[in-house]
Amino acid sequence: MTEPHWLTASEASKAFAAKKLSPVELVQALLTRTEALDPKLNAYIRLDAEGALDAAGAAEKEIAQGRIRGPLHGVPVGVKDIIDVATLPTTCHSHILVDNVAKADAVVIQKLRQAGAIVMGKLSTHEFALGGPSFDLPFPPARNPWNPDHHPGGSSSGSGAGVAAGLFPVALGSDTGGSVRNPASQCGIVGLKPTYGLVSRRGVFPLSFTLDHVGPLTRTVADNALMLDAIAGHDPADPGSAATQSRHFGRMLDRGVRDLRIGFVRHFHETDMPAHPEVTAGLEDVARVLQAEGAEVRTVHLPTLNEFSGINRVILCSEAWSIHAPWLREHPEKYGELCRRRLLPGAFMTAGDYVGAQRRRLELIASVEDALRDFDILLCASSMDPSSRMDDPAETARTYPRQARSPFNVTGHPALAMMAGLSSGGLPISVQFVGRYFDDATVLRVAAAYERATPWHTKRPPIG
Amino acid sequence: MDKAVIQALARAAGLDKALADFPDDVYTAAAQAMDNAGAVKVPTDPTAEPWPPMKAGEGL
Repeated sequence: MTEPHWLTASEASKAFAAKKLSPVELVQALLTRTEALDPKLNAYIRLDAEGALDAAGAAEKEIAQGRIRGPLHGVPVGVKDIIDVATLPTTCHSHILVDNVAKADAVVIQKLRQAGAIVMGKLSTHEFALGGPSFDLPFPPARNPWNPDHHPGGSSSGSGAGVAAGLFPVALGSDTGGSVRNPASQCGIVGLKPTYGLVSRRGVFPLSFTLDHVGPLTRTVADNALMLDAIAGHDPADPGSAATQSRHFGRMLDRGVRDLRIGFVRHFHETDMPAHPEVTAGLEDVARVLQAEGAEVRTVHLPTLNEFSGINRVILCSEAWSIHAPWLREHPEKYGELCRRRLLPGAFMTAGDYVGAQRRRLELIASVEDALRDFDILLCASSMDPSSRMDDPAETARTYPRQARSPFNVTGHPALAMMAGLSSGGLPISVQFVGRYFDDATVLRVAAAYERATPWHTKRPPIG
Repeated sequence: MDKAVIQALARAAGLDKALADFPDDVYTAAAQAMDNAGAVKVPTDPTAEPWPPMKAGEGL
C-alpha cells in the first residue's frame, strides 16, 4: 500500500473499508509527518491533534459498525484560517483577530463533518486572504514544499503547501482573485474555484462579497470532485447562494474529452501578460495532449487581462474597505504592512467607481458567456511564472499579479488550476480550465482526462 | 493627486491615525485607487446595469 501520507481521500476510504488502515492510524501518521515537516513549511497556524484523534476514533467506530457515511468518512482535512471551526480560533492570520474564537462551524465545515471528514486544524493564509507573504504577522508565512525558499502561492498558502507535502490529503481554501488556484498552481496540486453561489460562504470571513468563493485543494481531480460533492448546496442564509441541486460532480470523470470543444485563450499569456517561456511551452503541451485525447482545440478571444484585473481591483478594494474601515481607522498599526497597503485604496474609491466597475463587469460576463456558447471549456494560463523566492519581495510583487485567475472571480464561472509540468528550476507550472455556470462537472471531466494522460499528479515534492 | 487633497480625503474617510502613522501608505493608496478606477471602461450606454442585479425575494 502507498505510504499513508500519500494516500488520496479516495484511496484512504478504500483502505478503511478493506480494514487495511484505520482513520486513527492515518491521523497518527499525518501528525508524525506534520511534526517532522511543518517547522520548515509553516502550513499550520493551529494544529488540533486532540480534536482530530477524537474525531478519527469516532469515525473508526462507525466504519467498523458498517455505518459508512460516504467517501470522506474518516478522511483528514485542513482548513484555511478564515473559515470558522467551532471552538478553534479564526485569526485570519492577523493580529486583529488573534483572540477570535469561532462559536460555530461554517456551513462548509458542518457539511464536511456530516460527510465524516476530520478537521486537522487551521492553516496559514495571507492576512485576511489579502496581504502576504508577510513577516510582520503573528504567524510565519507558509513555504513551498517543492522548495521552502519559494512562495507557495496564496492566499490559501497553508492549504496548498499542506496538501502538496502530504500533511493532509484535502483542504479548503477561499478564492477572491485566485487564492485557491494560485497555491494549487505553485504547489503542483488541483484547486477548484466553483461556480459563484454553489458553495456557501456563511462562517467564512469575507474579503469581497461579490468575488468570494470557497473551494477545495486536493492532489487528484477525483478527490476534488468528492470534496465538492460534500460542500456544495443551497444555503438560504447566504445571500449569494444559488438554488441548485447539483451533485455527483465526479460523474463524468471517466468520459474523456472526445468531441469536446475547447477554446484556448492564448492572448492572456502571449500578449496581455507574456508568460515565462516554460509556462508558454507547458500550455501548448496541454493543448496538444487534449487534442490527442480527441478534443477540438481552437483559439478564442476574450477582453484583455488588464480589463478583468482592473475591475477585480476596484470591486475588491471597495467591498473590502466597507468591511475593514472601522479597524483601519482605529488600529491601522495592527495590520501587516502589505495588507494595510492593499486595503487602503478602498478609502479613495468613489461610489461612482464601484458602480461603474459593476456595470462594466456585466459586459465582461457577457463576453465570456458568448465564448462559452461556442466552446464547452476554456483553456488558459493560471500563473505566468513559477513561484518567486520568499526573500525577494520585489520579485514576489512583480510576479504575484501576473496571473489569469481574477477574470473568473469577476464573472463567477467555475475555474480549476492544476499542475502541467515542472520548470527547469524544479518548481510546478500550471494550467487553468474554465467552464459554464454550474457545469463544474465538465471542468472536472477535462481536468481528469488531462490528469490521466500526463504524469504530473504522480510527482512529489522533494521534501521527505 | 495633490497631497493636500489626499489628506483632506483621508481625513474625511476617518483615516487621521493612518495619515499620521503611515503617511506613505495613504498617499500610495490614493494613487493606486485613481489608477485602478481610471483603468475601468465604464459603459457609455446609460441603460447598462451593474452586476449583480437586484432580485427581489431571492436568497432571503
